[in-house]
Amino acid sequence: MKTLVITFDLSLVDQYTLVIAIAGYSIVLLTLAIMAYFFTRLHILQDFLAKRRLMVRESDDKDKNPKVVMTGEENAAIAAALYLFFSELHDEEKYVMTIRKVSKTYSPWSSKIYGILHTMKNR
Amino acid sequence: MDTLQTLSGLWEDTGFHNASWGNLVMILVGITLVILAIRYSYKPLLLIPLGMGIMLGNIPFLHEAAYHTGIYQEGSVLNYLFFGVLKGIYPALIFLGLGAMTDLSPLISNPKLMLLGAAAQVGIFASFIGAMVFGFPMAESAAIAIIGGADGNTAIFLTSQLANGLRASGNGMAIQNLIGPIAIAAYIYMSLVPVIQPPIMKLLTTKKERLIRMKPPRTVSKFEKILFPLLGLLLTTFVAPASLPLLGMFFFGNILKESGLTKQLAATASTIIIDVVLILIGLTVGASTQADVFLKWESILIFVLGAIAFMVATAGGVIFAKVMNIFLKNENRINPLIGAAGVAAVPDSAKIAHEMGMKEDPTNHLITHAMAPNIAGLIGSAVTAGLLLGFLL
Repeated sequence: MKTLVITFDLSLVDQYTLVIAIAGYSIVLLTLAIMAYFFTRLHILQDFLAKRRLMVRESDDKDKNPKVVMTGEENAAIAAALYLFFSELHDEEKYVMTIRKVSKTYSPWSSKIYGILHTMKNR
Repeated sequence: MDTLQTLSGLWEDTGFHNASWGNLVMILVGITLVILAIRYSYKPLLLIPLGMGIMLGNIPFLHEAAYHTGIYQEGSVLNYLFFGVLKGIYPALIFLGLGAMTDLSPLISNPKLMLLGAAAQVGIFASFIGAMVFGFPMAESAAIAIIGGADGNTAIFLTSQLANGLRASGNGMAIQNLIGPIAIAAYIYMSLVPVIQPPIMKLLTTKKERLIRMKPPRTVSKFEKILFPLLGLLLTTFVAPASLPLLGMFFFGNILKESGLTKQLAATASTIIIDVVLILIGLTVGASTQADVFLKWESILIFVLGAIAFMVATAGGVIFAKVMNIFLKNENRINPLIGAAGVAAVPDSAKIAHEMGMKEDPTNHLITHAMAPNIAGLIGSAVTAGLLLGFLL
């Protein structure tokens, strides 16, 4: 092992060292600050895109699907059909259990007789 | 006579004949780490490979033997495995896994917390100046200072480039191989987060500040989750291109996760790849602590400077959070405890902030908030490493 020679010399910190330290720290801070700023303001872009999407969809809907006007009789007919459909639904099970028989092939490798957990018994 | 010579040669070949006190001390250190991990379940994923690596690296052998065993002997198995450390391959792959397993939502939902991660980097630059004062060459000082980032992978990456024992400084002075001491110091301080950070956090905050409740984070859209890694990659690597292997892999891993279309790739990166690399990096970094390389007075100084860097980083984050509170509205105030999570020990320092907050008020859950500066710290320390490489290479 070498002998310990601890130097403590402030003059070793030259201008270049200080530039690296100060500039380096500032750049890291600035980089993350820019990211933080962008993501704080991101909602403006999101709102703009959402509004635009909504406007496009609305104009498409107007062109493709003209407003549907339904009479009371038609509404009543649809409601009656739905009522009949749902009243026929049931949630009862058949109560029949099906048991599928699974055959296991015997192998000495899977035999319980030869398991290592059986201890020797003294007679 | 021949038999005697053969037996004598065999004896000279054994570890008993070649052992030095340094080897034995380091083997004891390795055994201690393994016992700590197994008996007390203390960071087993980190300490078992590291401890076993230290033992492997310090098994004495005949250096003149025809076969190559040592990690620093060209052509040996350990030397090939060490290649991943020397060339910064393992840290990059770990960053890939980290990216694939990290949810960036806490950071996106409250972006101002990114500043805490940046603020904590003050520890790196402060100890960079400190190491210079103690007479370390500039490249070694930068490598030592990165311990303050509290991320072992970034520390290994930077040290493997700056202080690998293969370069000379501008004035012709040889740069030492500090990979072993710096990596061990960084990993040890990462596992000592619960011991080092709480006293500093308590010292710098009042009870009233520790009780601050933060607004719950908002829901983050998929659009934002995809935009963040893309923008983060472009901005950080344009600023510090040398950090590309780390940040490129981190954001790549994150986009694998967030795209939702490459789930199996993200799962492989965040489980299988990271596990394999963790084994290799722990083992080889441990093995790189061969007594003749590691047992030097400089190593002790590196440990001291690393501890100072880590403590300054913790204090920097907490103080910056307090300063931010001066400018923030009452309902947006930050609990300064989460400032300590600005160091990149993911997720340990966030957990500590959470636990300290819970001690003061058991209903105040800070973990989600603390993850934001924690991830920002990881990104910030990688940017810092890239900048230091840019300045010094």
